[in-house]
Amino acid sequence: MSNDSVFKTFLVAFLLCVVCSVLVCLAALVRIDREAYNKQLEIRKTVLAAGGFQQQIDAGEDIDKLFTDNMTLKLVDLATGEFTTAVDSATYDQKAAVEHPETAEKIPTDQDLAGIGTRAKYAAIYQASNGDLILPIRGAGMWGPMYGYIAVAADGTTVKGLTFYQHAETPGLGAEVDNPKWKAQWAGKQLYKGSTVALKVVKNGKYDPNAADATSTIDGLAGASVTGNKVQAIIRYWFGDHGYGKFLANLKG
Amino acid sequence: MAKAKDALFDPLFNNNPIALQILGICSALAVTNKLSTALTMAIAVTLVTGFSNAAVSVIRSHIPSSIRIIVQMTIIATLVIIVDQMLKAFAYEMSKALSVYVGLIITNCIVMGRAEAYAMKNPVVPSFLDGIGNGLGYGLILLLVGIVRELFGSGKLFGIVILNPTTNGGWYVTNGLMLLAPSAFFLIGFIIWALRTWKPELQE
Repeated sequence: MSNDSVFKTFLVAFLLCVVCSVLVCLAALVRIDREAYNKQLEIRKTVLAAGGFQQQIDAGEDIDKLFTDNMTLKLVDLATGEFTTAVDSATYDQKAAVEHPETAEKIPTDQDLAGIGTRAKYAAIYQASNGDLILPIRGAGMWGPMYGYIAVAADGTTVKGLTFYQHAETPGLGAEVDNPKWKAQWAGKQLYKGSTVALKVVKNGKYDPNAADATSTIDGLAGASVTGNKVQAIIRYWFGDHGYGKFLANLKG
Repeated sequence: MAKAKDALFDPLFNNNPIALQILGICSALAVTNKLSTALTMAIAVTLVTGFSNAAVSVIRSHIPSSIRIIVQMTIIATLVIIVDQMLKAFAYEMSKALSVYVGLIITNCIVMGRAEAYAMKNPVVPSFLDGIGNGLGYGLILLLVGIVRELFGSGKLFGIVILNPTTNGGWYVTNGLMLLAPSAFFLIGFIIWALRTWKPELQE
């Protein structure tokens, strides 16, 4: 049979497609199998990094052991600001909870600074062995949603660290939110002045270390003013009354 | 045997896909600011070129000439997807660092160029070796560029501090240009210059 006959052409194309799709399916199955573990590991790393364990991570210590030794998962009812055991924390999925009306809450438009529309009723937070709280935050970035964790000291206002684990900011500009040097300046900043959220992100280079509000000011990223504004909005929302405001106020007593 | 040896080693210096044929430049600029990503990319491309050449060669006498490019493309795409999925499964961090560039191996001219130019006309074993050789030739340049860029750009090799940078309290002022894509252009230019000075017969 000639290679160039119509029948042979279709036969070769068909057989090739069958073989290739089987191979691709098998590869995808292996990947899906490992995905849950990889995602969990990444979140654990983010929580540890935000909680001040970056050195241990860099030193190659076992992430799972470090995590289970130092972090306790707790659920916070954001409406009351109290810890809750209404649902099982081990199986609670905050990202999934946002999608269901019975487990999520609409954010009033005037308070929706982060541009997310709804948030889960319960927040899955981590309490570190030294009392630090590692709180999940999310919001609209410049090109897509940003997900991260912010660590706050037991006093409820001093930032210990901030790490985003998922975002779509511009590589080299907004994506520098991942830059360890930029993240380092968050440590020690004050979220609140009195009971209002004071933390702000200014344009790159406008940070004045001698200003009265320097302890609540973050120097923005060069060429990424929008990302800076979005990060500020995310912080302002999540530490306002509709976010962790009540919880942290309860904590301070 | 001599032919097999040529197929494997010729692409390293005498017929290097990057330095002589100037193919695969895009990914050579994108993934070489760290040695670890350059190495992973080199291994990925070597595996894809090797196995795509072998697969094309196996069925070469049955490929209708009217759809031969699509057939090669499908085989290459399948292999690239498999590599991409395996990286996502077992080297998640690395796959994030390489982002789209693993997927873009499909469009890397080296892979398809070897399938069309060599594997369509040669038996399986030499084709496989030719693919591996071209992957190694590509990888060699990637590693050379990666070594220079990471060492002078971050003071590190494979993430291990060699020249202690000032940002870390050391003495070495890092060269920011090395972390940007254009530096790879300059470096590849220097490599081509060096190679053609060493082997004048490569000059055009």
